[in-house]
Amino acid sequence: MKLSFSAEDELFRKEVAAWLNDNLVGEFTQLKFRGGPGDEHMFPEERKAWEQKLAEGGWTCVGWPKEYGGRGCSIEQQVIFNEEYARCGAPGHVGHIGEGLAGPTIIAFGTEEQKQKYLPGIVAGKELWCQGYSEPGAGSDLANVKTKARFDEEKGKWIINGQKVWTSLAHESDYVFVIARTDPDSVAHKGLGFFLMKMDQPGIEVRGIEQITGTSEFNEVFFDDAECEADDIVGAPGEGWKVAMGLLGFERGVSTLGQQMQFQNELNQVIDIAKENGAYQDPTIRQRIAKAHTELKIMRYNSMRMLSGQGGGDGSLQKEALIYKLFWATWHRSMGELAMDVMGPESEILDGGPYELSRLQSMYLFVRSDTIYGGTNEIQRNIIAERGLGMPKEPRVAAK
Amino acid sequence: MDFTFTEDQQLFADSVKDFLQGEITAESIRASWETETGRSDELWAQITELGLPAMLVPEEFGGLGMTELDVVLMAIECGRVALHEPIVEMAMVATPLLAALAPNNEKCADLLGQIAGGEAKVAIAHTVNHVVADAHIADYLILPHADQIHLVAQADVKLEAQESVDPSRRLSTVDWTPSEATCIASGAEGVALLAATLNRGALASAAQMIGLAEAMVARSVQYSEERQQFGKPIGVNQALKHHMANCAVKTEFAKAPLYRAAYVLSMKPESADFAISHAKVVAGEAALFAAKNSIQLHGAMGYTWECDLHIWMKRSWALDKFWGHAGFHKNRTHQWLMNPNAQIGADNTFGAVAI
Repeated sequence: MKLSFSAEDELFRKEVAAWLNDNLVGEFTQLKFRGGPGDEHMFPEERKAWEQKLAEGGWTCVGWPKEYGGRGCSIEQQVIFNEEYARCGAPGHVGHIGEGLAGPTIIAFGTEEQKQKYLPGIVAGKELWCQGYSEPGAGSDLANVKTKARFDEEKGKWIINGQKVWTSLAHESDYVFVIARTDPDSVAHKGLGFFLMKMDQPGIEVRGIEQITGTSEFNEVFFDDAECEADDIVGAPGEGWKVAMGLLGFERGVSTLGQQMQFQNELNQVIDIAKENGAYQDPTIRQRIAKAHTELKIMRYNSMRMLSGQGGGDGSLQKEALIYKLFWATWHRSMGELAMDVMGPESEILDGGPYELSRLQSMYLFVRSDTIYGGTNEIQRNIIAERGLGMPKEPRVAAK
Repeated sequence: MDFTFTEDQQLFADSVKDFLQGEITAESIRASWETETGRSDELWAQITELGLPAMLVPEEFGGLGMTELDVVLMAIECGRVALHEPIVEMAMVATPLLAALAPNNEKCADLLGQIAGGEAKVAIAHTVNHVVADAHIADYLILPHADQIHLVAQADVKLEAQESVDPSRRLSTVDWTPSEATCIASGAEGVALLAATLNRGALASAAQMIGLAEAMVARSVQYSEERQQFGKPIGVNQALKHHMANCAVKTEFAKAPLYRAAYVLSMKPESADFAISHAKVVAGEAALFAAKNSIQLHGAMGYTWECDLHIWMKRSWALDKFWGHAGFHKNRTHQWLMNPNAQIGADNTFGAVAI
């Protein structure tokens, strides 16, 4: 065990901090601390420009192998990069679904052609991706996919029909990856395909969903004879579930790395308010702040531990990773409650109209979705009990 | 000993419940968000016809002469439908203050008569709140100034609208100048009335939060029967059953302190601080917990504007912080308990002297 970073890594930290310090200036200053959870709909154009600025400096996809345009950073360096990125308040990555989910999936399961076609756009910060998984009837029951894909021999293309929902940033995206049923007689996780599709086509319609924050970050996406090139299926027809599950491993693991520093920023803001308005004198508030701080440390230590055992580069995570989503989501939800209790009666008053939430008010509402998306707390507990502890599985509707 | 409500009290609450359930829906609340005042003269006329503004107005001033104990169930029903009209605060907080002064103050007596008859509305400010609710549609405002209380015509103040996280709530800050002519109480009397007002406001909020909590659980239980995942209603899952059961425990256990607080406030208001703070804290916990678990049960739907749940969730958020937030009331409880003369111990908890 060695809990410090090497001299080389510390040099890397300085390099990251210096670059961010030099570049998060001018037109980008307004993006500081913006575009994070609950704020992802803000400044899309400016954040796209920032993504390309990062790319110019070689700071997108830092964990990807060099052969695919990444920086080939070690796990330690990825931790450092994400820490420094959040520390200086650099904005939420508008390209994070491509960088964290689509890209790693294509690297792990895609063909050489697909890699050449899609990875450079992600690395350059020019092509944004969204995720077509959930459907109106397929939330926790993710495999209950009704969207259908059939291969049209005449056109030589896959034709997709159906509906996806809760698709983050679909309205800003260039591409979507979709799981759809390639075998119409199949059920559950069998007979699915994993498709890479262009958003800008007549067969795809995007409609925003208004959230309890009054803003729209995610969408419904309708597929009406939408087309997908024959070569743009990842894996074989019927292997979609395998690919999708590999991808969920990325979602619950490496791509959540940078958020701890964002959490730290939020906690710091709450502590500042508590000092300012006197709430810090309340012993129950003091205890909750201390608890939030210690649990944030637990998250950090645990993710270092999680990532230390990894290193294989395939994005797969060990057992302890199963607990991480449940822990951070629940922590963050409590953090929202703490923030409002620290603000006291002021927590009810908006910055202005119409429905202009402050960052912390928005966070308090947004954290309600943390315990739901990417596997609800209840699903996470099932996973811990069944996969982690080996408890008997709940009876499921059997696949044909 | 009898910890139940009388048949009359129950009947009154039921009649209000029937009226509210018939008139107030999520759709009508959403429609009110789109109007300028957010309030309806027509609805207010119906509320007046039921006699609700006159509930705590003494009979000699044209009211019904009821007590907090008679109306606490009604306030729960107002919470259950997330009522946006300001009846609870006006009837349970503003009129008792005016009633205390009315015997020696003609202005207060006159105003009480007008309120009871549905001819005037009054809004009430307190130092514990940073804003005033429904001042925009009030004819008069009750405003504290140090140890003084003033009754000021709305026309004589300047209101600045403040937006609430709850689109149903209409809040203002008030710019005004106190004068001798507007002062209706001062000194020890003013201080005592302001303290009583805080307790009445906290009781009114606590009661509404119990209704809010039960409404959210009822909606969630219904949704758990309709929504299917893994080929069965999501409500069959123990994880979700337990979420709802935990809410039910919290809400039911918050009712007893609430009823007790209403009782003490109506019988011995000068000793009500502890009971009131207790009720406000547990009712707030019950409502926020019900909001949290209900959104969780609804999954991503619960996080949308389209789903009605947030109407109740945001009211809970607002009322939990209004008339003293949880920290404020917990500290009041601590102070009461740590008082060297605190009446704690078995004889005080269960004995005859305990109120």
